[in-house]
Amino acid sequence: MSSSRARLSVEALSAEWDGLPVLRSVSLSVAPGEFLVLLGPNGSGKTTLLRCLAGLERPTAGRVRLDGVDVTDRPVHTRGIGLMFQESALFPHRTVYENIAYAPLLQRRPRAEVDLEVGRVVDLLRLAGFEDRRPDQLSGGERQRVALARTLAARPRVVLLDEPFASIDVEVKAELHAEFRRALSASGAATIHVTHDRAEGLFLGDRVGLLFGGTLEAVGAPADVYEHPGSVRAARFLGYNVLPGDGGPVAVHPTDLAWSPGPRGRVLATVVAEGPTGRHRLVVLRTDSGERVELVSAVDGPSFPVGQRGGLTWERSSPLRE
Amino acid sequence: MTDRREAVVVGPAVLFVLLFAVAPAALLFGGALASAGGLSGLVAAFSTRTVGGALNRAAVENSLVQGGLSAGLAVALGYPAGIFLGRYRWPMRSTVRSLLLVPFLMPSLIVVFGVVDLFGASGVLSTLLPSLGFFGSGLPAIVAANLVFNIPLVVLFTATGVESASAELEETVATLGGSPWRAYRDAWARPSWVGAAVGGLLTFLFSALSFAPPILLCGSRCYTVEAQIYSLDAIRGLSTEAGVLAFAMVVLFLVPTVLYLLLLGRLRSVPGRRTPTRSVSLRDPVSLALAVETGAVLVGVLGVLAAVLYRTVAPVGGVAPGVAWSELFSSSTAARTGVPVSGLVANSLLFATGATVLALLVGIVLGYTMVGRPARRRALGVLLFLPLLISPVVLAFALSSFWLPLLGGATNVWVLVIVCQAILALPFALQSIEIPLAGLSPRAHEAAESLGASSWNAFLDADLPRVRDGLATAGLFAFALGLGEFTATNFLVTPQYTTLTVALYDLDFRRSFAVVDAAAGLLLLLSLAVFLVLLAGGRRVEL
Repeated sequence: MSSSRARLSVEALSAEWDGLPVLRSVSLSVAPGEFLVLLGPNGSGKTTLLRCLAGLERPTAGRVRLDGVDVTDRPVHTRGIGLMFQESALFPHRTVYENIAYAPLLQRRPRAEVDLEVGRVVDLLRLAGFEDRRPDQLSGGERQRVALARTLAARPRVVLLDEPFASIDVEVKAELHAEFRRALSASGAATIHVTHDRAEGLFLGDRVGLLFGGTLEAVGAPADVYEHPGSVRAARFLGYNVLPGDGGPVAVHPTDLAWSPGPRGRVLATVVAEGPTGRHRLVVLRTDSGERVELVSAVDGPSFPVGQRGGLTWERSSPLRE
Repeated sequence: MTDRREAVVVGPAVLFVLLFAVAPAALLFGGALASAGGLSGLVAAFSTRTVGGALNRAAVENSLVQGGLSAGLAVALGYPAGIFLGRYRWPMRSTVRSLLLVPFLMPSLIVVFGVVDLFGASGVLSTLLPSLGFFGSGLPAIVAANLVFNIPLVVLFTATGVESASAELEETVATLGGSPWRAYRDAWARPSWVGAAVGGLLTFLFSALSFAPPILLCGSRCYTVEAQIYSLDAIRGLSTEAGVLAFAMVVLFLVPTVLYLLLLGRLRSVPGRRTPTRSVSLRDPVSLALAVETGAVLVGVLGVLAAVLYRTVAPVGGVAPGVAWSELFSSSTAARTGVPVSGLVANSLLFATGATVLALLVGIVLGYTMVGRPARRRALGVLLFLPLLISPVVLAFALSSFWLPLLGGATNVWVLVIVCQAILALPFALQSIEIPLAGLSPRAHEAAESLGASSWNAFLDADLPRVRDGLATAGLFAFALGLGEFTATNFLVTPQYTTLTVALYDLDFRRSFAVVDAAAGLLLLLSLAVFLVLLAGGRRVEL
């Protein structure tokens, strides 16, 4: 995406924590209405990046621009960037209505307009009927919907989501994903969502970026990033096996591996463990060079006795850099 | 642990509190009720003796005025310092936090002497600036002494409240467009004021029930209810009237005590990520103003204690320090106090040690059975905090009325002194135990039991190592409070069991000022030694 139409652009942002680098020259941009997901393991710098963008932490280098205006040194409450946490952080003593109306009232909008705004986001997030409840009368999913409604009622130009679904039940999660996606798209705000859940990230993002050790890698369309992880650590994070290819390491998906007992194959390995996972069978192998490899086969296919030696072959792979 | 085995362990501890705190107080009040001729008679006694009697009414008014003034000023001065302690990062922050507990652990007499040493007739400051003599006697001196004791409590509780505020909520307010003032108002003012209110209520209770400050700094016209009960029973022998007044006092202070306990519970149960501290910046005038205010509070509070230490090397009346100290250990002082100084120190240490052992035993047993059981926690919590409602004089009065005849009279009064000091220390000792106990997961204990350990061994191997620091703090807390306890001990002891604090009070009344300076110094040094042991090994000391 060209930075000229970017809502938010980040240029070579770096940050440190107790003298240790947490972000290393991160650059990215997000367009209005776009949903960018940053995927990364714990400690990769995701939350620090969001906090720097929101103005809660000061970067050691780099700039943050909002609609072309440099806001790097602007105080957090004047930036117009909304941030939502893993914990909903609702005012415990205020009702749902009062929580959502908080920012419009801060902006000194007329009462009628505040009511309209609250009604709009209440409808958007299907919260009608909850207005008079207090946070302790809501489920975890409902609280997160209220938290998003409160963020959107401030009409932010950018919304930052810091793992908002991490403590939500699996059954509720999929529904919330769809609701959040729809509500944020309707708001027109640029969204950056960080998570360590790769399925969530690939499902939600218009684009996906991978963040490792404070460095941003492989930003692109979810399918492209998934099919071409690019680096060894990205491949491992996305669930690929890393195996030796002709010109260096390659990423091979567990479903693309084939196993044949005996000393034949591109890589020789031993079965370490195996067992059914619903309709599939997960087989864990150890290559002769010590690499751990996962293979997925049909649950009613051939068996994989533990200790059996054999060879691995594959048709599809993606080249990786170290 | 099965319910039956648990009852065997918990029973004696509960019985101890019931027998030595609840029952004597209940019998005292029952006796007052009976002698007044029932409830209607008690109401009449209230109006004719307590409220109607000029001295008693003045005592109630004095309690309310001294408590209210001290609490208001302590909150006004302690709240900003509490914010500075809770929200900002600065050198020696942790040490200052511990130092703030020093006045609370000091004997009340030390603080009273400190005020006199600074602002009294020949005070260090009032000699330099005579107008400061205003704080040397009467109500201003009493309030000053109460503030030295209690401002640190307000500071510490406010800091705890500030630290318990949700960081996410504060940051959310900022990202929604709220200014730092709005973030304070909407996100962290509430917990900080809960902390300040806890400190303020405790200040009110301690000040309204103070004993030594009104007696030594003002006299009978400033007596609080506590001092008046002592005067009625121990001096004038009017025990029925004292009982009625004690009952009135419990009723009067029931609401603030319950409120204190409720707010304390809220202060301890705030979940979520804590607000990170920030550094003091020259560009942030608020942080600078808070730093200056905190510095002034610290200088004021610790200055009073420093004045007592100063008097140990520069006693009043130009007496050489060596003379004052040798006189303290002389036979003439022993004749005046009834026991030589070594005996006074031995009595003080003996009672404090006995009280510590008792308080710890009861505290551990009851505290341990509360872990993870909300209903039991509430019931036992009330039981353990009852001594807060029953003031030292009332407790001593009730114990001596009920137990002294059963124990065979004054020769065995030392038992009651130990019991009384233990019960008075129990709420504060339990707080130190409760914090690590609250963080104790039953998983480790259950895991040890599932591996074949008995319940006792599981306690020793899985639980005790994790609460050891809390226990040490609780024990030393109880010891320091016992060492400096004056009000109840003074009520109970007979001459051969006189403690250093009681002797100090007697010597002051006999106007042996140079000896008093030396004795106060000795007591202060003993208390400081306990405090240093408390801090040894980097232990964090908290209320």
